[in-house]
Order: sequence, then C-alpha cells, then structure tokens
Amino acid sequence: MKNKLLIVLIPFALSVLYACANTTSVARVHPEAVVGIPNCTECHSDSLGLFNHQAADFFKKHRFYAGNSRQSCAACHQESFCSDCHARKEEIKPADKFADSPERNLPHRGDYLSQHKIEGKINPASCMKCHGRQNNARCASCHK
Amino acid sequence: MKKHQQTRSGCTPPKLLTLFGGCLTASLIFSAPLIASDVSFSGEASTILRMKTNLEKKDVYPLYEYLRLSLNDNRDDGSSVGFYLGAWGRLDLADKTTDKFSDADLQYAYLSYRSAKNNLAVNFGRQFISEGVAAEKVDGLYLHTDLAAGFAASAFAGKSVVLETDAKGGNFIYGTRISQSMPKYYSVGLSALKSEDSDKNRYREEEGIDLWLHPIQQVELTGRSSYNSITEGWMEHAYSLSITPFESFKFGADVSNINYKDYFFNVTTNALQLSTLLNSTNPNPNEELTTAGVFATYSPIKNLTVTADYKNYAYQLAGDANYYGGKITYSLPGSYSAGFSGHRMEGSSDRLRFYEYRLYVAKKIGHAELSADFVNIGYDKKINDVKNSYAATASAGYEFSRKLKVGADFEYSKSPEFDNEVRGLLKLTYAFDTKNAEGGVKSEK
Repeated sequence: MKNKLLIVLIPFALSVLYACANTTSVARVHPEAVVGIPNCTECHSDSLGLFNHQAADFFKKHRFYAGNSRQSCAACHQESFCSDCHARKEEIKPADKFADSPERNLPHRGDYLSQHKIEGKINPASCMKCHGRQNNARCASCHK
Repeated sequence: MKKHQQTRSGCTPPKLLTLFGGCLTASLIFSAPLIASDVSFSGEASTILRMKTNLEKKDVYPLYEYLRLSLNDNRDDGSSVGFYLGAWGRLDLADKTTDKFSDADLQYAYLSYRSAKNNLAVNFGRQFISEGVAAEKVDGLYLHTDLAAGFAASAFAGKSVVLETDAKGGNFIYGTRISQSMPKYYSVGLSALKSEDSDKNRYREEEGIDLWLHPIQQVELTGRSSYNSITEGWMEHAYSLSITPFESFKFGADVSNINYKDYFFNVTTNALQLSTLLNSTNPNPNEELTTAGVFATYSPIKNLTVTADYKNYAYQLAGDANYYGGKITYSLPGSYSAGFSGHRMEGSSDRLRFYEYRLYVAKKIGHAELSADFVNIGYDKKINDVKNSYAATASAGYEFSRKLKVGADFEYSKSPEFDNEVRGLLKLTYAFDTKNAEGGVKSEK
C-alpha cells in the first residue's frame, strides 16, 4: 500500500515542481562560434565566466563542472569532444590524435610508455577515472 | 563471494525503467505537436593513417576512420530533437596493431529531446553520463529537469558499456542527482549510483555530495566527496579553491584524499586492482593518498600567462613526493600559441626524481597550420641506460576549404623503452553540413 502511494505521489510532486520551475533552458548552441581555448570572462560577467578555459586550474576542475552543469558544456562542445578522451574503447591517445593542437591540455604527451609507470605509481587514481572500468583494452595488452 | 557483495534484495534490475524511458523519449519526440521546424545536419569524417613500430618491433600501419553525425530538428517553440552518432573503425594495412587486424567501436548514438523551458532533457541510447558521482558510458535513458525553488533533478538507467577484459564488469546501472542552486552564488548536489553484476551481486554503490560555491565573483570553491556503500568507506574527497583578487592575478589551492580499498573497488583492469597496486613493499590495504597543491597565475599583458604550481603527494604508508614548477603561455586563439613549462618531481625512489620540460609553438599562416612540440624528462638516475627521455613532434596541416583539411604529424622519441622511435600520422578531415548546422558553431577542439 505504501509503495503504491509513493508511485502516485512522487510523479505528482515532480510534476508540480516542474510546472513551478519556469526557468529558461541554457542555449543549446552557443550564439557565437568559439575558436581555440576561450577566456569566458571576456563576455560573461556571471558564473559562466568561471568556466574560463584559459585558467590554470580549469583542466583539473572540468570534471566538477561537467558533473553539475553538463548543459553548459554542451552549448559549445559536441558529444565527440568528450568521447575523444572519455572513450569506452580508443586506440589513439588524445595527444597523438590532436598533435596539431599542442596548446590543448591533453593527457599522455611525449614518451608516455615510460612515464605511465611513474604516474601510475604516484597517483593511480588519475588512471582509474578513464581506465578503471572502461577503455582498458590497451592496458590489458601488457597488464595480463 | 564476499558477504558485503551479496545482493540486498531479490529484485531484478529495473528493466521496466528502461522500457518506460524508451516510451517516454519516443512520445516526446514523435507525438510533439506539428510545429514549424528547422532541420539541420552536420557531420565529419576523419581518415587517419598511423605509421609506427609496435612492442614486438614490427612496423604497423593502422588505417582509421572516425565518423561524427549530428541531426537536429530545431522547433519554433525553442525545443529541439536531435540524433547524435560517433564511431570509428580500424583496418591494419601491415602487421596487427592489437590481436585483431580490424576493430571498431560505437562511441555514442542517442536520440535527444531538449525543451526550451526548465532545461528538460531526455536522451535515449549510448551516451556519456556525467552527473555527480557518475561519469559513465551507458546504453540507456537519461533525464534532467529543473524544478521549483532552484532544485534540479536528473536520473539515468541502463547497461554499463564496459570492456570486460580482466574481470566481470557491471551489468545494469542506474543513478540520480538532485541539486539546489542559486546560479549567482552556489550549487549543492547529492548523487548516487548503483549497479549489480550479472549474478545479481552488489557491484557498485556510490553516493556523493558536490559543491560549487562562488559567493562573490572573485572566490570559487568546488569539489566532491564520494562514499562507497559496499566497502562502507569514503572513496575520495577532492576540493579546489581559487581566488581572483585582480583580473590579472589568480591563486588557489586544491586538496584530495583517496582511500585505496574504497576507491579501487571492483575495477575491471588488472593493473588497477587493489591486489596489483599493493605489492610486497606496500601490502597494507589501508593505503591512503592525500594530495595538496597550490598555484598562482599572473597575466602581465593580455594573452600572456605565467603560472607557478606546487603539489605534494603524501602516502600514509609509502612515503612522499613533491612536484613543483612553472609555466609560461601565450595564446592568440585561432592564430598563434606558444608555451614553456618546467617541473621537478622529488620523490622517495629513483624513478620519482626527475626534471620535466616542455616547449611548444603553433602558428596559423593563411590556410596552413604549423606546430612543434618537445617534451623532455631528465631522470636523476638512468633507467634502462637512458638519462633523458624525450619526444619531438612536428605537425603541418592545410585547410583547402572550410570542409576539407589535410595534415601530417611526425614524431621522434628516445626513451627507456625505445632507442629511436619514429612515428607518423596522416589525417584527412572532411566536414559536411547543411547551412547553419550546429557543426559550424560548436567546437571540435
């Protein structure tokens, strides 16, 4: 009886809350084309300015932004932008696929075969985010 | 089977939820009123030929095709319906790159409905979910909407897209995030995900709280704590603070704490399983890593940035390491960029004592783009008789038109693994779209 009541009440409550929200959706497409690595503060004086991609700490914070404001990312980036790094299965490391964009903050630059042994020891959690459960076929080719 | 991995109930995974989601998406997309719309289509095909030597010292020439498609129906009421697809395939022209001569993957393929009001979004298909503790590739349904009083809710359900190379991966996964925010000042979110494996054992149960505080424009605090309900321990705390007293000057700090037994629970990669990470010199499963870093960045003139940073890695059991250095970058978006960085890693073992340098430059001249990148690691003590490990990359590209671009990269490297490695890459990119399609506006970089 309690479960049946919840099944009715929860959708009803959500419908009321949805009807009362009345917010305007984030623009699906950014009104101006974004070239290179943008400094969002040049146009945005509100919280969107905090997404300034040229900031020294943007790369390490982008996962928090994506986790709580994905729609804002999608206004400028196509889904493939995320998939270039956050891939289920990928054979070309991002730094190789976009070697023509050295200004981008891409993981695994240079001799990463040697370096991953060091970074994997110093902070294996940094590997885990992409290679713990997905995109791990390349790991398995050596780590049997 | 461990006791804590036993399933809590005999319920089957909520497959009905996926069915419900499919019906909901279809009804939103196809039963919408017939209103004026503007259909746009865009896509991009990239053909990439790589030339390199594999670990068996044999030459390999894998040929890749990457495809991205985007179809949008933009309606006059501000809503839109879209279909997005990304995929790649590979064919080896000489020796095998992996254990197969050819391979392919569907990266994403989903239908999407977005409303003009309340940030309502309904996605159905293969997609990347990023909501609080969840950062997952899922075949399933995703819903998001704003609610009253600054609340917002999102939920997802579907099948985890994992490669079960080393261990059994998750099966059905579902989760939610509820947040409350005042966009000018803060956002606070609570999130959770749950997954069972095919034997209905508890596979992942994670909960998290995320914060984004910016009470004034000059101060920002963001981060997340995540908890593992199966191991009953905190997986990670990670927070970052930045202060911008002047437009040209910013400084900040970040701190994180990771508990190995909670964080590396039920991973599917052998190299990252707890039993692998803990070895004879560090066998305690209660290993804990705390990192703390600071940075300061200054822009004396527009587009020029000077940054200094320091990070400490403190293991409860395995010792410390410090990483510190600086970076200078100059960037004119779409035209010119250059940067130099130098860092020192000072750790307790020989492998953790090295200098790291990087120098890069990229320049666009008319329709041509040129770039060069040099990365050097100088170890205090030789590894495999190599003191300096370096990679030098040169790249050139030419844009024949807005739609057609060709490029070539060449890399030479010397490392503890390869004496003299030469690699090359040829890339041809063709973009196709209807007028005003979003592919012409959204950035691929």
